[in-house]
Amino acid sequence: MIIERRVSGLLILATLGGALFLALLPLPDALSAIRPAIYPATVLFWVLMQPASFGLLAAWACGILIDVIYGTPLGEHGLALAIAGYAVIRMRELLWTLPIWQQGILLLPVFILYEFALFWIDGVAGAEVNQWWRWLPVATTTVVWPFWASFLERIAELEVG
Amino acid sequence: MRGLAEDDKSSLLGRRITPGLRIVAIVVISVILMMVDHASTSLTPIRSTLAVATQPIQMIAEIPGEVAHYMGRYFDRGQLISDNEALEQKVLLLQARLQRLASLQAENERIRALLASASSLDQNVLIARILSVSPDPYRHYIKLNKGSTDGVFVGQALVDANGIMGQVTDVTPMGSRAILITDANHGIPVEINRTGLQTIAQGSGKTNELRLPFLANNSDIQIGDLLVTSGLGGRYPSGYPVAEVTSVVHQPGDEFLDVVASPTAHLNRGREVLLVWTDNTIEPVAEAQAEGAAEVEGDARGDTPAP
Repeated sequence: MIIERRVSGLLILATLGGALFLALLPLPDALSAIRPAIYPATVLFWVLMQPASFGLLAAWACGILIDVIYGTPLGEHGLALAIAGYAVIRMRELLWTLPIWQQGILLLPVFILYEFALFWIDGVAGAEVNQWWRWLPVATTTVVWPFWASFLERIAELEVG
Repeated sequence: MRGLAEDDKSSLLGRRITPGLRIVAIVVISVILMMVDHASTSLTPIRSTLAVATQPIQMIAEIPGEVAHYMGRYFDRGQLISDNEALEQKVLLLQARLQRLASLQAENERIRALLASASSLDQNVLIARILSVSPDPYRHYIKLNKGSTDGVFVGQALVDANGIMGQVTDVTPMGSRAILITDANHGIPVEINRTGLQTIAQGSGKTNELRLPFLANNSDIQIGDLLVTSGLGGRYPSGYPVAEVTSVVHQPGDEFLDVVASPTAHLNRGREVLLVWTDNTIEPVAEAQAEGAAEVEGDARGDTPAP
């Protein structure tokens, strides 16, 4: 599965904005802990589907934006997203051949990699929060991926026809 | 497939930039960026510029919460009335206490003046509204609606009615961000009110917990002790309550006590905070004003023709 034609940058930006909105929506603490990582999933979706126009540098820039909003060291989420993006690029030939719900399962290690990169950098920076529920978003993101990815795909198809 | 997969346009001196090369470059740049950001404040301008750019999306994300808040307010009339009554009673009570406080403060100042003491009780405050809390549950930040145009500065202390909340870390013209004392990255110099013992209270990453990791086994501390700011370090004004000790555990074989305290400020409730200007931070402004006044006076004298 790949969107063969080139999707406009405006559409990509709009979906990223929407994902950011969902990521910033204030939630109670309990819900916030299991909030799926929609924004990183969106970035990785475009890395997977539009390799020519949305590459690692774009993923990195998207991460920097998160660093600014969250107040984390500049480059933390950028690095994590770029590493996850690189993993997606390495696996993309395989991912393209799979239906979306199987992609989600294959992407689980990528989401773990993303969270682990954040966890590691937090630890090095001295802001370590080692609680098991930190890893819950990995599971919820995997569950949400098929729905979110097919939603994005539908939008992209609407635009490119 | 191949043609789609690789972006053939990117090349450097005739050599193609592979994703592998690119990821190495990004890792290196990110690590350097993080180190610079962690060690110095030289990236703050970049951060502030980008923060202003992301403000609209953050404001949009706040709307549903705000709407729910005001809707709740609209439908909770009974609650409002009872709240109001309770508050009125509290105001009465506090005012009675305040009357006594005014005379006590005057007396205290007189005595301090007699002692030629430098410390003062005078502190200016400004009420700021909490715009949002950190969307990341493991970082305890809040955004405030007062910024540099209101005189807010980096390092300024934040309190609520019950104690110290945190300090300002970033200031933009129309807003600021503050770190709470419970953030895992935050430490605050405190003293135990009962004994005057100085130590440092570190955030734990949980909203109801501070840790005191540097107390020796024989320290005089017990459950229920109040921790107040010591004023050492120069960031926080001294004498504000910070936390109450909730557990003191001595692990045999450990050199330090395992002490946990819970913040007295209501860190995850309420929508308003007080920004505090202590006397020594306000002084330069007062001096500048005095100088300005002197200048004006001088000018006036200069302009007056000699008789």
